[in-house]
Amino acid sequence: MEIVQAAMAGTLESSDLLVKVSPHDEGRLELVVSSQVMRQFGGQIRRVALETLARLEVEAGLVVIEDKGALDCAIRARIQAAVLRAARCQELDWRVLA
Amino acid sequence: MTEPLEFGTVDPGREPLAAAEIRQLLAACELELEAGVQVFLVCRQGGQLVACAGLEGGIVKCVAVAEAHRGGSLSLALMHELGCLALERGHSHLFLYTRPGNAARFQGCGFHPLVEVPGWATLMENTPAGIQGCVRGLRRQRREGGRIGCVVLNANPFTLGHQHLVRSAARACDWLHLFVVGEDASAVPFRDRFSLVRAGVAGIERVTLHPGSRYLISRATFPSYFIKDRCIVETCDTAVDLLLFRQHLAPALGITHRYVGTEPFCRLRWRNCPGWRSAAARSPPPKCAGCRRRATSPGWPPWCRRPPWT
Repeated sequence: MEIVQAAMAGTLESSDLLVKVSPHDEGRLELVVSSQVMRQFGGQIRRVALETLARLEVEAGLVVIEDKGALDCAIRARIQAAVLRAARCQELDWRVLA
Repeated sequence: MTEPLEFGTVDPGREPLAAAEIRQLLAACELELEAGVQVFLVCRQGGQLVACAGLEGGIVKCVAVAEAHRGGSLSLALMHELGCLALERGHSHLFLYTRPGNAARFQGCGFHPLVEVPGWATLMENTPAGIQGCVRGLRRQRREGGRIGCVVLNANPFTLGHQHLVRSAARACDWLHLFVVGEDASAVPFRDRFSLVRAGVAGIERVTLHPGSRYLISRATFPSYFIKDRCIVETCDTAVDLLLFRQHLAPALGITHRYVGTEPFCRLRWRNCPGWRSAAARSPPPKCAGCRRRATSPGWPPWCRRPPWT
């Protein structure tokens, strides 16, 4: 999926996360994660994020995650929503969103 | 049961009644309604204004929450809505000024501190990847050498004087980084200014030409709204810009000297130099080097007894 505009999803409320997706200046994929539980779960958040991005076939873009202690399912959902908005996606492929 | 919060927008130029209400709330928080604010996000409860936040392009201004509504999570909801409003208006990268004492509150709302002028102001941006990305990009263009120079030009438009400054600076340095101010606030648009500069410095060796960023003399790095004393505002403005340059951009490129032209009719440029070297920073301060005018020197301006770099 191609990122064509800046978009975001989520909030900074407790147990949620804010995901911002925008086109990358250098045309590569960059993931920035900041979390209140970085030391304990930073690696896992990164892994979930990269898996989700790979399933959506996002190859380039700047993805910024500000986590406030969200569960994996919330992380996946917020990333999906942000990417779909950033890609101006009109028709959903439910198989990759499952 | 408390009434729900309702968010809406106000165009201060077109809605004088709502603007007066906002002005009242701001005054209660010791703030003024800034003339440049294009749109206000307002939060009402039972019809009464309880919080507001303004946008001027990508710069957040005039954020206030009524005293009785503090202590909850209203500011977080307000700043979240403001982020959505800004995105709708095409601004995903936001800047914000606040008093250093309030920085922690905005940090909880997704803003990250860039620089602080102790006691006066903190500049923040709404992404953890902003300045770092810019610095990483610059680091790749780093050149090694004993004397690495930097010139920042608005070049509105590019003149022989600018060319002279660049040539003199390039001659004195092992490498020169030349930045063209990116903000489109001048008579000549950025694209034209940039191509004029590129053509004007084409023959000069050991120069890298950079398009300016929002971190270098832009609307974002020059605040002027919550400090009422105009004189302090100007000093504070230049301090923020120079601290950003000094703490982030200069170390990335290894800049040792920043060159400025003498401008007898511009007060700001004379103010630039003092102070920024003494402020706390992680790296050794770049030196400020001057460049004499080529033609007959007009002499130092009356308010400056000697050039600041001597």
